[in-house]
Amino acid sequence: MTATATRPQDAAPPATGGKRAPKRERQGAAWVFLSPWVLGAAVLTLLPMAVSLYLSFTDYDMFDAPQWIGFRNYTQMFTEDPRYWRSVITTLTYVVIAVPLQLAMALAVAIALKSVKRGKGFYRSAFYAPSLLGASMSIALVWRAIFNDGGSVDNLLSGMGIDIGGWINRPGWAILSVALLTIWQFGAPMVIFLAGLQQIPVELYEAAAVDGASWWRQFRSITIPMLSPVLFFNLVLQMIQAFQVFTPAFAVSAGKGGPADSTLVYTLYLYDRGFTASHMGYASAMAWALLLAIGAVTAVLFRTSRAWVFYANDNNEGGR
Amino acid sequence: MRRNRTKASCALALVLTLGGTLTGCGGDGGGGSGGKVSLRFTWWGNPDRAARTDEAVKLFEKRHPDIDISTSFAGFDTYKAKLATQAAGGDAPDVMQLDYRQINQYATSGILLDLGKHPELRTSEIDKGLLATGVVDGEQYALPVARGTETVAYDAALWRKAGVPEPTLTWTWDDWADAMRKLSASKATQGRVGSTDPGQSEDVFEIWLRGRGKALYAKDEKLGFTADDLTRYWEWCTKLRKEGAVSSAEQTTQMDGTVENTPLGRLKSVSDFNWDAPTSGYAAIVGEGLKLAPLPVGEDGTPGQYFKPSMFFGASAKTAHPKQAAQFIDFLLNDKKAGAILGATRGIPANDAIRQGVLPKLEGFDQVISTYQKQFEGKLKDPPPAPPKGDTSLQSTFSRDYDQVSYERLSPREAAENYITEAKAELRQ
Repeated sequence: MTATATRPQDAAPPATGGKRAPKRERQGAAWVFLSPWVLGAAVLTLLPMAVSLYLSFTDYDMFDAPQWIGFRNYTQMFTEDPRYWRSVITTLTYVVIAVPLQLAMALAVAIALKSVKRGKGFYRSAFYAPSLLGASMSIALVWRAIFNDGGSVDNLLSGMGIDIGGWINRPGWAILSVALLTIWQFGAPMVIFLAGLQQIPVELYEAAAVDGASWWRQFRSITIPMLSPVLFFNLVLQMIQAFQVFTPAFAVSAGKGGPADSTLVYTLYLYDRGFTASHMGYASAMAWALLLAIGAVTAVLFRTSRAWVFYANDNNEGGR
Repeated sequence: MRRNRTKASCALALVLTLGGTLTGCGGDGGGGSGGKVSLRFTWWGNPDRAARTDEAVKLFEKRHPDIDISTSFAGFDTYKAKLATQAAGGDAPDVMQLDYRQINQYATSGILLDLGKHPELRTSEIDKGLLATGVVDGEQYALPVARGTETVAYDAALWRKAGVPEPTLTWTWDDWADAMRKLSASKATQGRVGSTDPGQSEDVFEIWLRGRGKALYAKDEKLGFTADDLTRYWEWCTKLRKEGAVSSAEQTTQMDGTVENTPLGRLKSVSDFNWDAPTSGYAAIVGEGLKLAPLPVGEDGTPGQYFKPSMFFGASAKTAHPKQAAQFIDFLLNDKKAGAILGATRGIPANDAIRQGVLPKLEGFDQVISTYQKQFEGKLKDPPPAPPKGDTSLQSTFSRDYDQVSYERLSPREAAENYITEAKAELRQ
């Protein structure tokens, strides 16, 4: 309580020169208040990360003590394990299909919802709901049921003369059903798009309309550039999530990554190595490779963003 | 200012102490309150098993007022992962239910107590061959609770309608294949295939191997078969699949361990391989006509089938109360009253005397299973010893590799070579 009382004096102009004691004091208080978070981060995040990094250089089956084997896990992963590469390719396929389609869907619905006048709240929640539910196991299981042989999607399609015989039992189709589940959960990026759309000054559209610009022209020349920071944000976020897809692939393939390894996404293979085969060291190495890969892809996205992301205040701040 | 600082350090100290106390709380393992010995007992299963187990535990606690047992259970996959994590952290429960494939790993890693050294624990009424499955390096690390054996569950009504002779105790794999072809071809089966494709099942492969005098694992914990054996098996399955006698890849891949998602459970085939205990699940789907047949024997009449311990009890090497843990296991396995309470909830009991007591009281499909088991009494070879450590993931590797064959991405030969390579790596040979 005393701390808040003294605050106004302390919060006055930043300490300069000889006034060092109060600053350190403020830091002390800050650390006290931060301590739950700092402890949590250290014990629950940093320590496990360090252990996992260590384990990635060992052979560890959870029973016997870890044996240091240097880069053996990594070399085995990259040079001797065909299923590792199969899982990489499956994941990339999934990311390339799911992320653009999900964002396109989110943007389309956001634009449609922007002009809705009545029942705004209802429509927004209706489209957002799948994002809340979608990550759960039960929805993934429902997905499995409707795309299965004799499920409703299969029946509908064969009624229309397209007989696939269950998406989840065909290599090639199964990963599509997993991607569809992700695309369906476009609620979170949609909400962010909606917010972004509402930031665009109406005058721009009015001016364009006066000049006779078509809807498409307005979309290309106003909406997309004005929305590009939001688009970029959504892209990075959804891509990072997509690389770590697990639940839908796990549920759709009953944990096996089948048929014929066609839904064996990266994290599912990681889980398999760690918890089914008890190769914790190998699984840790896979986790670190994934972390580095996501970091690299994100860095590349940030690089390219300079060419296509425009911030409204670019003129003032000079390309941040 | 100074006052402030003291306050800040006090708060920090408080937070640190709290944190310390909280972590300190987790460590209390054995001990128990009020001079009572407390034991943790964990197992996998379902609510029915839970109710009966709790009843048995209560009876034990009544007879031993100084022992307090706390139980917990989960589904098999969850249980397996949790137990492995606990064992790795040196915090294995005092008494635990174990699977055949866990014994070797847990025993050689020093997690299990050598139960042979505890006279409180009687084993005289358990079949010698079955008892030996819990022995690793000459020590009795685990005791079999119940026994199960594989079976061909089939829709006898359809089978008869198709005019195919019903299975006998001595039918061979060739007889089986012929029957599958006839069943699939018959109009009476309305387009159903004969059976699930056995290519994906390591369990069926094992029986097939044993019928040829081989085994999954040789005595020295090496593979007991070669790539040639596996290639021959998968080529044979592939031939049958292409003829339409067994289920297609799209049907086979839907199996997820539940009875409902097998081809027979989905009414797409006339028969299926399974362990006998879960077959009661087919009864609800197939109906009255469901019957159990033995697995085919080798061409020279060698039976591949065996009684497998369906699960074990073991104790932690680190338990503070080994004597009480042994007493408790003895009670679960050998006590007549406990046997009556537990019934067949963990399978047909391995203890001969308890089994005699339980059998007449069995109801419904449990009765069918026990009659099915009875016909093998004294006719089967001994079960193989517990699978070597490292084998844990090979069962799923087996069906995954065959998946590549049935979707025609690999030839049987290529897939077999793959499997052998991975198996050797897992077994560290």
